[in-house]
Amino acid sequence: MRIEHWWFTTPLRLRSLFRRRRVEQELDEELQFHLDHLIDEGTAAGLSPAQARRRALLAMGGIEQRKEEVRDTRRVGWLTDFLADLRFAVRGLRRAPALSAFVVLTLSVGIGWTAASFAGLDALVFRPYPVRKSSEIVALVSTTHDNLYGPFSYREYLDIRDHVKSYAGVIAHTTTAPAGFSSRAGAAARVKNAMLVSGNFFAVLGVEPQVGRAFRTDEDAVPRRDAVAVLAPDFWKHELGADPAVVGRKILLNGHEFTVVGVAPDSFPGLQLFQLPDVYVPLAMAPFFSTDPQKRFLEDRDDRELLVKGRLRRDSTLQQARNEMAALARDFAREYPELDGGRAATVRTQVEMRTRGDRMEWKFMVIANVLALAVLLVACTNVAGLLLSRARTRTREIAIRLALGSGRSRLVRLLLTESLVLALLGGLGGIVNGALGVRFFDSFQIPSDLPSVPPFQMDLRVLAVCLGVAAVSALVCGLAPALQSTRPDLITGLKASDVDPPGRKRLWGRNALVVAQVAASLMLLTACFLMARAFRQSTLQTTGFARDHLLMVRLDPRLVQYDATQTKQFYDRLTARAREAPGVLGVALSYHPPLALESLEAVSFVPDGFQMPRDRETLTSATDTVDAGFFDTMEIPILRGRGFLASDTAEQPRVAVVNEQLAKHYWPNSDAVGKRFRLGHRGGTPVEIVGVARSIKYMAPTEKPMDFLYMPLAQQPRARMALLLHTSGDPLQLAAPVRDIVRTLDANMPLVGVRTYEDLYRYHTVEGPGVAVHMIGTMGGVGVLLAMAGLYGLVSYNVTRRTRELGIRMAIGAGRQAVLRLVIGKGLTLVMTGVAIGLVLSFAIERVMNTALFNSGHVDFGVYLLLVPAMVLVTMLAAYVPALRASRIAPTLALRYD
Amino acid sequence: MSKPNDLVLGTLDLLLLKILALQPLHGWAVGLRLRSMSGDVLQVSEGSLYPALHKLEQEGWIQAEWKQTENNRRAKFYALTRLGKKQLETETANWERLSAAISQVIRLTEA
Repeated sequence: MRIEHWWFTTPLRLRSLFRRRRVEQELDEELQFHLDHLIDEGTAAGLSPAQARRRALLAMGGIEQRKEEVRDTRRVGWLTDFLADLRFAVRGLRRAPALSAFVVLTLSVGIGWTAASFAGLDALVFRPYPVRKSSEIVALVSTTHDNLYGPFSYREYLDIRDHVKSYAGVIAHTTTAPAGFSSRAGAAARVKNAMLVSGNFFAVLGVEPQVGRAFRTDEDAVPRRDAVAVLAPDFWKHELGADPAVVGRKILLNGHEFTVVGVAPDSFPGLQLFQLPDVYVPLAMAPFFSTDPQKRFLEDRDDRELLVKGRLRRDSTLQQARNEMAALARDFAREYPELDGGRAATVRTQVEMRTRGDRMEWKFMVIANVLALAVLLVACTNVAGLLLSRARTRTREIAIRLALGSGRSRLVRLLLTESLVLALLGGLGGIVNGALGVRFFDSFQIPSDLPSVPPFQMDLRVLAVCLGVAAVSALVCGLAPALQSTRPDLITGLKASDVDPPGRKRLWGRNALVVAQVAASLMLLTACFLMARAFRQSTLQTTGFARDHLLMVRLDPRLVQYDATQTKQFYDRLTARAREAPGVLGVALSYHPPLALESLEAVSFVPDGFQMPRDRETLTSATDTVDAGFFDTMEIPILRGRGFLASDTAEQPRVAVVNEQLAKHYWPNSDAVGKRFRLGHRGGTPVEIVGVARSIKYMAPTEKPMDFLYMPLAQQPRARMALLLHTSGDPLQLAAPVRDIVRTLDANMPLVGVRTYEDLYRYHTVEGPGVAVHMIGTMGGVGVLLAMAGLYGLVSYNVTRRTRELGIRMAIGAGRQAVLRLVIGKGLTLVMTGVAIGLVLSFAIERVMNTALFNSGHVDFGVYLLLVPAMVLVTMLAAYVPALRASRIAPTLALRYD
Repeated sequence: MSKPNDLVLGTLDLLLLKILALQPLHGWAVGLRLRSMSGDVLQVSEGSLYPALHKLEQEGWIQAEWKQTENNRRAKFYALTRLGKKQLETETANWERLSAAISQVIRLTEA
């Protein structure tokens, strides 16, 4: 029925649209035919031709009205009307190019911001897994009192896989520690991201390899047996030159040979967001990737590292799956009371997993989105103000249209079309702005050992949101002016231009908005300047150690399954060889090098003979484990006592070096050297403080001095260390020699990270804070723009409203300057109020920033001296333009204005 | 739209469909037929006939064709379509149900 209906009607609609003239002609002819018959009838009844014609026309009740009624039946009126409105709107907007451009700019900022933050939220929360029918994929999680999103152990996974019934398949995967990859034996190993996956991983996800095959289910059945690998698409392209004959090729992972069996498709970069895997290997190969020889991942039921996901069967519901998991967890707890007791399990959807309460990123994105919508709302309000001031000048035109019989809804539609055009242009600008914003998000790279891939992108989903938001903002900012200016009080509309009585109330909201915008943008700009200045200063400050000519190389012998003796031997040889390399002035090992972007480890200790605070059992301090060369290489002066010596071996009594801050903190009136403390608790290992080193920056260049405790590597062995090389020339020149040294010691040992301290330092002082400075600066800039738009709209509205009054003033002798002052004065009051409030806020935020973030406690008047006049100047410019227009009003015209 | 006052609301469509079901006609003839068939009881104002006809055409119930009249003038003749036939059936059924119901109610109040 429906289809048949369209079959008949579609040609008619198209005909009405595209053969309009023909259709109109036919209508004319048809009505003329009827009219002729009526006239004939009249003359036949004895009337004169003229009389008959008059009667006939009367009987038809107005030919034009009939035609209009017929046209209404064609059902394309909305479209033809819309096109006509569109033409009209474009013409109107081109007549006021400056205003239109400004409106478009304002909207594009609001829409762009919304788009960019939505892109962020989409990437973090909404974007589905890149697999077939992703909505069927759910996550199975082990829950405890503290962790509602916990992973499972391999043993648990096997039990789950074999017992659940709600799924078409249950998969497991986990990212290993950074794995050393080399394309052939003897080549230096580099770190890559390996992912351990169950044999059914690709099959259940419905991911078809672009080359070769995926894993077989039996390939993760026997530990260490099937050394096969599936490559990720990017890895295949960048590391193996997209070799089409890659299947069968051998690669080395942590020194073990793996055979490539396939390459994942481009459409499947991985399930995670930031860290994409380079290589997939079967779960049964886990022992080759372990960094802890104590752990037996494949056997230990409490070694929980696996993320388990399942594809729900079509005939099972989420609730069924949840009940099933809960029951299974109870079985586990009964069977293994000491391992699985107190644990429950449930099933979570993708969005639930991504909006977990313990993650911050998506919450930031939600806040960013709310903020963006607020900005958009303010932008729309301002645009509404601008449109209102424009609609005001058209009061008469609209009144005439209404008087001629145009329907109000038709007029509202006309005006809305205008704002729709503006909003769509704004939407296009918004797409550009949004793309810039997304690029900005993406450009932010944290220097980590494995590159993180930012998931933000400007895709179709974001574009759709852009246009949707544009359409909604058209409605938001167009509806109020359209409704207000078409209020059908014709008499006043035709008589006078200033329709509404001079009321303060009406504008109160808009005044407040302008004041708020000025205040907020001043505060944001102050914050931006202060941060920029603080970070610039921090680059001038010393870190307390020699950071130039310093290369940092991270190593982790656990990756190639070294035990403690092998590890010690490796580091001893490495430092000895490195010391001999040309261009090396000093060599050191550090477990946690300063400014290395990792959270610091803390150590508890109890000083001997120290009066402990009543509520505390132990004291804590940040700590690092370093070798004997550390203080010399880093050029950290030892103020009293000594640094570590080669003679501080594991057999000797434990020693430690503390920093100045810690020494002053606990022994303010005596020398810390020679004091003893117990490690961990009152009865712990005794340790003697042998030296006091100068405090340096440990976490960030802007940090405040903190307590710090160094321990010698020989007495506190660690596996993962950073090798620090002080060089005479460019430190990166040494990267290759160091790699060679490591390779001669063990070709399979990967260099986890190679980076100069200058890089790290730049991140701390330039790039990292740059993001914050940029962001706050952009917000401030947008604030200024919005304030300008608001002020412009407000002042020009006032000017239009008062045209007659101004005309009279000028007619009786007011000069142009006087008018200018009069009009601009109001704007100035608003700006000044805003600046005053903004200054108060700025002082407040400066205090907060000074105490919370930076070390400087003084108020920076330079910033205010620069910002306040600039702010006033720029915003007054927005008031000046319409004011200038007012001062050029010719009195004669103004008096005739209504 | 000017509605014929003396026609029960919404029945104009039904009448037009019925008339055109008998034979294809142009607008003028439809008006005449309407008047003569109902013994001058049902009259449509000259003007409102065309919007109604065009509406039926746009719904796809009738379709138009330009043909010569007996006086050798070009006129737009309307004829029922397949869809129109179905529509006529539904509307006739509706009407019968409605009028039956109404007369029943009227008789009830008289009794």
